[in-house]
Amino acid sequence: MSGTFKRLAWVLGGLVAAIAVASIQSGTDAANLTKAGAYCIALVGLSFLTGWSGQISIGNSGFMLVGGYSAAFWTLHHPGEPVAISMIVAIAVSAFVGLIIGMPATRLRGPYLAGMTLAFAVALPYVPQSFAVSTLGGSQGLTITPLSAPQWFFNLFDTNNTLPVVINSRFTAMVSVVIAALVLWLMSNLFTSKTGRAMRLVRDNDVAAELVGLHLGRTRAQAFVLTAALSGLAGALLVMVSGTASPSTYEFGFTFSIALLTLMVLGGIGSLSGAIIAALLGVYSLQITTWITDHTGLGPDSWVSAKLPNLAPNMENILFGILLIVTMIFAPRGIVGLATGLRQKLISVTRR
Amino acid sequence: MIANILTNRIVNDIAGGTAQGVIIGLVALCLVLVWRATRVLNFAQGPMAMFVTYIGMTQMDHHANFWVAAAISVAVGFIFSALTEIVIVKPLYHKAEINPIVVMVGMFTLLEAVASAVWTNIPRYPTAPFSSINFQSEGNPTGLSPLSTFQIGAALAIMTLVAILFNYTSLGLKLRASALAPEVSKLLGIRVGRLLTLGWGIAGAVGAVAGVVISLNPGGLAPNMLDAMFILGFIAAAIGGLDSPLGALVSGIVIGVVMQLINDYWNSNYADMVAVVLLVVVLMLRPQGIFTKNSTRRV
Repeated sequence: MSGTFKRLAWVLGGLVAAIAVASIQSGTDAANLTKAGAYCIALVGLSFLTGWSGQISIGNSGFMLVGGYSAAFWTLHHPGEPVAISMIVAIAVSAFVGLIIGMPATRLRGPYLAGMTLAFAVALPYVPQSFAVSTLGGSQGLTITPLSAPQWFFNLFDTNNTLPVVINSRFTAMVSVVIAALVLWLMSNLFTSKTGRAMRLVRDNDVAAELVGLHLGRTRAQAFVLTAALSGLAGALLVMVSGTASPSTYEFGFTFSIALLTLMVLGGIGSLSGAIIAALLGVYSLQITTWITDHTGLGPDSWVSAKLPNLAPNMENILFGILLIVTMIFAPRGIVGLATGLRQKLISVTRR
Repeated sequence: MIANILTNRIVNDIAGGTAQGVIIGLVALCLVLVWRATRVLNFAQGPMAMFVTYIGMTQMDHHANFWVAAAISVAVGFIFSALTEIVIVKPLYHKAEINPIVVMVGMFTLLEAVASAVWTNIPRYPTAPFSSINFQSEGNPTGLSPLSTFQIGAALAIMTLVAILFNYTSLGLKLRASALAPEVSKLLGIRVGRLLTLGWGIAGAVGAVAGVVISLNPGGLAPNMLDAMFILGFIAAAIGGLDSPLGALVSGIVIGVVMQLINDYWNSNYADMVAVVLLVVVLMLRPQGIFTKNSTRRV
């Protein structure tokens, strides 16, 4: 596919997705898609860091927290200003935090880096909880007016007396999907740009990268700033939609960092389409788990669940844990890697 | 005079902090053992220790005595960790260095979920054969209790055992050789693969001791009981240098004491953050840790 055609395909795909999203009937699906958009942005950020610059982070929930709080803080103190400004502020602040965390990170190898970012993600929720309680709201967090659909959107879609709530979640889903599509498009351009090539070289062979004159530390730090900025945008998006940023928000805790890593690996490290698949997987994981348990005789009515009443709520994590281990050992390139492999096999069979 | 010192607030904090610090050091030691043997940072160290502690300690419900239960935990810890190495870590040597990290993160998720499914999230409190009431000096409490003395003693005893094993026995020499120079060791007829498995097993047993000791803390035995401890253990191991067992112990104790002082004089919520800041500062100044001499790395 040529470059222009590819770009056009992205834009068209984004438009189609937006229209499809805007006409979704179920409010739950619309709310899920809103989340999926944000997850997709965070996943692209992490996937870029790991797949394209070779660094690993288990601390991206920390950057999401920074972004979310910055957006909420800015909105509280500048009411009436456009939402986009809050988002930009969130991106800027989390990029700055990413720079601070990225500086030691540039000198660290994989495991040290992973551990350090994990420690960052674990400790960060304590900041709004116990420092600056008056400005950041302590364990209550910050509350803002959530994003709501403008009048023209109501006029467009309120054809058969749909509930305003549903129209609202359709609107947020559309906003979130459009932003995600924009991010995907920008990242696909970055992947083929000079910076993208430089990062790949740093990942694959840092000695060679230094020999051709690349500054290793700076390239790694750039990748960290970018992943932090994208995570911050995702966090801000979640907060603008839900209206709250609190230390106990699921996406701001270190368990979500682990979930992000899991989803990224399952989708396919370093792949944009993998990030889309992974985001949907993350949002619908509970439904998928229920479907699997119902079809394998492990559901709530089975004998296993009768013996272990606590099994059902933990089934999701058990499955994801097993999947993560199995994927990494047998299919390290995730779902996208499997699909590509299958397609190539099919091509070679048909050509024979 | 002596009584005054024993009940002094700072001295109490240092004593209590040391008790927690040696446990942090013990967790750090597990990470160092696995790292030295196989260059894998075991992110599932906490849940693995938690899991085998549950297996041993729940035997107390079936009228096993504390020491028997602890021994079961340690034995299962050894076997479980060695099996983990054989089944899921071995296929990943010589792959990208993020692969084992991701696999151990998967193990983390899996074990905590299974433990929560089998034993629920409600903490259990194994009855220790020691009192947790602090020793008294002229009517005032000192910083240590029979229980915390036992915890310090157990941790130090295990560390001494590991040090003797690695430094003064021929098995220890082989273990070090296969970790540091696997190719040469292979040529000299050492079965490197088996020794790496053994290294994981030893780390698992040490982890089980840490798990048993921590399950006697006020938090009790719970599926996520080692999460915070793992982070602190990692911070201690990274500050000391992932290659240095002594560094793990020393920085573990320092972190324990510093956190206890922050808890007492400032705010308990700040303790974790101060530990992370400490880590970032040390890693910025000396990325290889304080107690490691060389900074070479494998390419």
